[in-house]
Amino acid sequence: MLIRPVAEDFRVIGFYMGRIFLVVAAASLLPLTWAGIAREWHPFGSFLLMTGVFALLGVIGVRIAPKVSELDWSHGMVVVALTWLIVPMMGAIPLLLSGHFGRPLDAFFDAMSGLTTTGLSLLSDVDHLASSINFWRHFLQFLGGQGIILAALTIFAGTGGITLYFGEARDERILPSVTSTARFIWAVSVVHLIFGVTALGLVGWLVLGFDFDRSIFHGLMTFFAGFDTGGFSPQSTSIGYYHSAIFEGVTALLMVAGAMSFGLHYALWRGPRRSVFANLETRTILSTFGFTMVLTLLGLAATGLFVNVAGLTRQGFFQILSAHTGTGFSTVPPVELARWGGLAFGGIAIAMALGGMGSSTAGGVKSLRIGLTVKAVVNQIKQVLLPEHALVGTAYNQSGRKHLTPVLIQSVMIISLLYVALYLLGAGIGLAYGIPLQESLFESVSASANVGLSVGVTDPSMPILLELVYMLQMWAGRLEFVAVFSLLGFAYAWVRGK
Amino acid sequence: MRRLIRVAVLATVFLVIPVSASAAEEVTVNEILEMGADLAGEEVALEGELVGDYGFRDDGSMWTQLNGDTYALLPIREGGRPAGANIGIALRIPLDLSGGLDPPGGYRYRGPIVRVIGIWKYHDTARPGESYVEVQSLTVTEPGRQLDQEIDWDVILFGLVLLIGAGIIALLTRPEG
Repeated sequence: MLIRPVAEDFRVIGFYMGRIFLVVAAASLLPLTWAGIAREWHPFGSFLLMTGVFALLGVIGVRIAPKVSELDWSHGMVVVALTWLIVPMMGAIPLLLSGHFGRPLDAFFDAMSGLTTTGLSLLSDVDHLASSINFWRHFLQFLGGQGIILAALTIFAGTGGITLYFGEARDERILPSVTSTARFIWAVSVVHLIFGVTALGLVGWLVLGFDFDRSIFHGLMTFFAGFDTGGFSPQSTSIGYYHSAIFEGVTALLMVAGAMSFGLHYALWRGPRRSVFANLETRTILSTFGFTMVLTLLGLAATGLFVNVAGLTRQGFFQILSAHTGTGFSTVPPVELARWGGLAFGGIAIAMALGGMGSSTAGGVKSLRIGLTVKAVVNQIKQVLLPEHALVGTAYNQSGRKHLTPVLIQSVMIISLLYVALYLLGAGIGLAYGIPLQESLFESVSASANVGLSVGVTDPSMPILLELVYMLQMWAGRLEFVAVFSLLGFAYAWVRGK
Repeated sequence: MRRLIRVAVLATVFLVIPVSASAAEEVTVNEILEMGADLAGEEVALEGELVGDYGFRDDGSMWTQLNGDTYALLPIREGGRPAGANIGIALRIPLDLSGGLDPPGGYRYRGPIVRVIGIWKYHDTARPGESYVEVQSLTVTEPGRQLDQEIDWDVILFGLVLLIGAGIIALLTRPEG
């Protein structure tokens, strides 16, 4: 029997959401300050409004609905799912007021794309966009990639944190407590921020010959979008704008760092480093990257679009790395990417669908699930081929020796199948609107796996239903379904429960 | 009669020279992006707004982006309607042609509108896989200009009201002790 939620349930949810909104209100002061310093007064007003909305929602949540009981699993999941809906909804205020969007839904789409670190965009005329609005778009990716819940956990330590932590699709607790894990994740990010912005800024200033302040601006934006595998860019031509192999190289390092699980970062920092390469997840991602890379390069060679190996390798490598890490940066325009048919298309689409590592900022099915699925299939084959009473080993290495249990296999299979269903959903809707199969599938996988590479389907003139489906894909894909289903279940119980 | 023929020949030569000098194929930025491979290595002439940055490199070139979209004619801040993404390509301009340009287009400026003639380098072998126009001549057809900035006082006021409201609620509902 379904139990209808009572006022107490809503108070608990409201309290924790209020806390998170207060953290976002505090974070909103950054773009507000940026707009003030840059004397961009129109965006300044819109950031003030957004900060006011978040502050008011936060205070109402925390004070009007005082905490009456601890956060349990289902409440935590509902908090996470709702947070990831309401934050982009309110975060879209400055985007909408900028005038660069045709309809309010488009601004919401971009904010959702930013927070979920997808990178698909309906923004018009990014090349004339205010720097503070650009900062907000990229900062949204940073907030989303790090996890806004994680930000709240870092500040508000306490019970209930573990539920919120796992609800945000993180399945690895690196240190004994969730708060210390959250702080470690922020430490890793700050170190990468310092390295990334310095390196990219220096390349911009010394190699590309940009003004110093613009070099830092480009460095900061590219860091946010690269390390958090988001894919937004301050210029319309993405990373192709810079026309620099060195800039691409530093960006590639950030994308790789972003797609690595924070557990792996921990192992690389604290050692033993050798164990990193024994991990099933590391081996899987290296194998799938190699496989999709070869596929894409062979496909590109067959298209004859590139006349020399160096060009083919440079462009193929960057695009496949961007796809596999779920970043969505590109060095070729969407019209050209749409011509990468055959094996090249297959390579990129597969790389996007597989995604990065678990507990990272990347999306997609994730390498550990792929590795476990392959291992389960191999074991099954062995079971059939070997004598009836032969024992097939179920051990695998992932931060220590673990065993592949039927429950684990089941959960891995369910999530993987849900991703496939999500990929097909968007592709089917796209097909129904007359978009060719290849383009429909590409864009759908890109949205669901939070990648952001586009062949041009995502456009302000796209049908509203398709836009809504892509938003659903970004949201569900980023949260890996569980929190979304919990919210749906909660809503259903509210309506039909007793 | 000979004199007449000589004049006719000279006139023909002078007529032909400007024609050959402007034999570059007239294209739009969008056409270059759509037909990139077909136009590879050809001399092209195109017009658009310079946007982003002017990157002065050690190899004696200046890199920037040329946009050929509706915003080049009417930026959103001057009443242009949102009509999708920008349409731009890279320009590699020799330093001696890059002097005296107004600031590139961005939030505060509508960049200069220029007409350039150059070679379309599609997936250039010298710069592995990059595509850009190697500029040979550049003419400013419309100088850049500063874009006005409006302040929306209503939005600022509303934001302040919400912030003050949040502060008042926080104060009034402060837990005792």
